[in-house]
Amino acid sequence: MTEEHVAGVLAAYTDGLIGKPETVQPIPITDEEHGRLAPLFQLAGRLQQSMRPVQPSAAFVRNLRRELADNARRRIALTKRLRRSALIGAAALGSLLSIASVVGAIVFVVARLRARAQETRAIQAPTG
Amino acid sequence: MHEESDWALIARAKQDPEAFGLLYERYVGCIYNYTYYRTGNHQDAEDLTARTFYRALRRISHYVDRGAPFSAYLYRIAHNVVANWYRDNSRRQIISLDELVTWVFRREEPASLAEEHENQDLLLQAVRQLPPERQQLLILKFVEQMRNAEIAEVMGRTEGAIKSLYHRTLEALRQELTHVEYGREEITGRTNHD
Repeated sequence: MTEEHVAGVLAAYTDGLIGKPETVQPIPITDEEHGRLAPLFQLAGRLQQSMRPVQPSAAFVRNLRRELADNARRRIALTKRLRRSALIGAAALGSLLSIASVVGAIVFVVARLRARAQETRAIQAPTG
Repeated sequence: MHEESDWALIARAKQDPEAFGLLYERYVGCIYNYTYYRTGNHQDAEDLTARTFYRALRRISHYVDRGAPFSAYLYRIAHNVVANWYRDNSRRQIISLDELVTWVFRREEPASLAEEHENQDLLLQAVRQLPPERQQLLILKFVEQMRNAEIAEVMGRTEGAIKSLYHRTLEALRQELTHVEYGREEITGRTNHD
């Protein structure tokens, strides 16, 4: 009698007990196996009698659903606001960087032009 | 009418509060039963069911489909919530209102009925002494009446492992009950003798 076989017999018995038989054919067991499993069959029967589904009260289910929906609405609104703020922030930062780069480019060009003008004047100036 | 799948509802729940409400309606009964049989009273079951769904709502935007059913995700949250609750309550001894009401009513019952209820209480108390995953197995099997394959999916094990765990669970429970019933007979015998 293997552990696997015993576990299979017990599972099949319990499935039949709760009305969900997985196999149509009953699994054959010896008298020895039956003797060993009898207290567990009895215990499974007691569990089936004692562990019945319970229902939460309708008021509890209704109230919790409403609270969860309110919470979800607030959460989604907050996420949208945060996303919009992040988008505006990123856009502002991008604009600032663009302006800074344009200003930088202008400064660079002006400086280059001035430097070139100075060089030209230095070459054209009479020496000695 | 075609029922929207869990996956579709989860995807929609990230933007639509109503979708999470539908998921809640689908699973509130399972989670309530789980928390009820883990704690043994309705007040705590309500409290822990609410905590489980609030936590699921907070995390729904980060939910990743790993192939397990959504109920497995909810049971995992409920398991953690119940574990925290037991840790927080371990410092104080509480008699729940359910237990108190039951005790008062049982004093009025005929002896045979009272004994039957007492045996049932003993059995459920013994179930609550089992490790959490064994309790979950019994809840899924007897309360939710799931097939072994469905239990295996929820608990992330193979069907064979579930059958084997079920066998070991009943063996452990039988030993625990023998121990408890022996202790009860000892006390009763001593009281009668005195």
